[in-house]
Amino acid sequence: MVTIHNLHFSYRSKPVFKGLSLHLEPGHIYGLLGRNGMGKSTLLRSIAGFLFPQQGEIGVLGHRPGRRQPAFLQRVFLLPEDFYLPPMELRRWVTLHSTFYPKFSSEQFYKAATGFELPVDGRLDEMSYGQQKKALICFALATNANVLLLDEPTNGLDIVSKGQFRKVMAGALAEDRCIIISTHQIKDLENLIDRITIIDEGKILFDQTIDAIAERLLFRLSYDPEEVARALYAESSFRGNALILPNTGGEESRPDLEMLYKAVMLHGERLNKLFSLKSTR
Amino acid sequence: MKAQSGINQHFSMSRWSALLALHWADNRKRYLLALPAMMGLLLVWYCFLTIMDRFDPLDEGMQQVTYISGLLVVGCLYASTIFAEFDSKAKAIAWLSVPASALEKLLCGLLFGVVVFFVVYNVVFYLVDIPMVRLTNELIARQHRVWPGGYSVGPSKIYNVFTGKGDDPMDQRYHLYLLSYLAIQAAFVLGSIYFTRYAFIKTAVALLLFVLFFTIFQSRIIERALPGGFRRGPFFDWIKGDGTLNVKIIRISPLIETALGFLLLYGIPPVFWITTYFRIKEKEV
Repeated sequence: MVTIHNLHFSYRSKPVFKGLSLHLEPGHIYGLLGRNGMGKSTLLRSIAGFLFPQQGEIGVLGHRPGRRQPAFLQRVFLLPEDFYLPPMELRRWVTLHSTFYPKFSSEQFYKAATGFELPVDGRLDEMSYGQQKKALICFALATNANVLLLDEPTNGLDIVSKGQFRKVMAGALAEDRCIIISTHQIKDLENLIDRITIIDEGKILFDQTIDAIAERLLFRLSYDPEEVARALYAESSFRGNALILPNTGGEESRPDLEMLYKAVMLHGERLNKLFSLKSTR
Repeated sequence: MKAQSGINQHFSMSRWSALLALHWADNRKRYLLALPAMMGLLLVWYCFLTIMDRFDPLDEGMQQVTYISGLLVVGCLYASTIFAEFDSKAKAIAWLSVPASALEKLLCGLLFGVVVFFVVYNVVFYLVDIPMVRLTNELIARQHRVWPGGYSVGPSKIYNVFTGKGDDPMDQRYHLYLLSYLAIQAAFVLGSIYFTRYAFIKTAVALLLFVLFFTIFQSRIIERALPGGFRRGPFFDWIKGDGTLNVKIIRISPLIETALGFLLLYGIPPVFWITTYFRIKEKEV
């Protein structure tokens, strides 16, 4: 669905991607993580066709995104972190924009908007940042675009809305749809994303499904000094030591994505080695 | 890679109509506010002329100057905002995200910026011009004003901006003004997408620099290549003369002159519009 091969991109003299390759399949919700300035938004904008690769290739749904053909733009929707909505009624804005999307469902939009408790008869310029973002999320879902690119979608959402966001996103996943969420708020997306991709220094540092992570890593609290010594990553807390251990016994645990992210940033090589060793068995 | 292509990916009437509706909805308030503003400015200008010139304030010449200057200034100011979405990243993403082709987006901008603006400007101009010319004629007639020396002041006619009728017969080549305006305005359309900020000022400076370069090129580089004594004349002529009938003219070949003249008259707007199209296509955010 999305294929990136040997992507090179830089802003003037600042390189962002140096040979990044990635393959994203439909039917998944990808969590795109990374430090500030490591190119998450740049990657999303490249997939959406707003930035062009300086070297390498990007293919999305059989299109070259940079050509920005209408047939491509109808099937790929980017919700940027900083967005613009004109000063007009929400209903009017939806009517005007929905005509461009052949698979747009008004029913879906208003259902999602009701779930978010959006004032659907209100004006966009009278809505808060969070409400505007919710309106855009509802619109993005209702376009039924095959590729949804969400850049920091939970920024500005209140706690209840974050829960609602997880609910609507989980319901929006389909076999022919790929959702890519770039975020710093990894806790907001736990139980939602099924594959985690961490980029750093212009390369993919870690790229695994949640199932594979749960199978190969064990997340647990422990006071046992021996376990702490064996841990791939450890964090002390008032409840004990939060550990990431190799899952040698096939035990079940719930991956803590924030801890995993920190572990990858500190010991990425060691973790990846563990995954590659396992996959060759 | 199996990309969809075909004419529908470049232009579809239904998509373009939807784009026009979207453009109108996004800019309706701005456009509707601009109408009374233009009318007000014109009215203030005509009132000023009527107060300052007690004899013949709105003759055909003044109407023509007002019309052309207004068209040029307002038209170029508006043209420099046609693709103003690119002055902010958020607006640019919103604009580029709309599933319409670059051609449709360009044609939408040109329809509003070139065609609709021209029609509206003419309507606004005559809405003010006709009553104001009549009013000043009435004022002059009522006060029996005469020129110094006893010549009576005749009523001013409404200047026909499309034929130049009523003005000096030598100055009745209206289409040349219009073509020049279109060429300059087309440069501002390109400037609106080329410069992300202060597009109007930057385009104006770029045009002035171009004119300066062209003048220097003609007077310094070409003149030096010619035999001594030749100076730049109008258009593509270089003249050597002592003020008498003994004048020598160097001209480029008539074919090239005709071709260059044609290009200057009719070629500049399409060239700038086509460049704008490619600029839209290659724009990154």
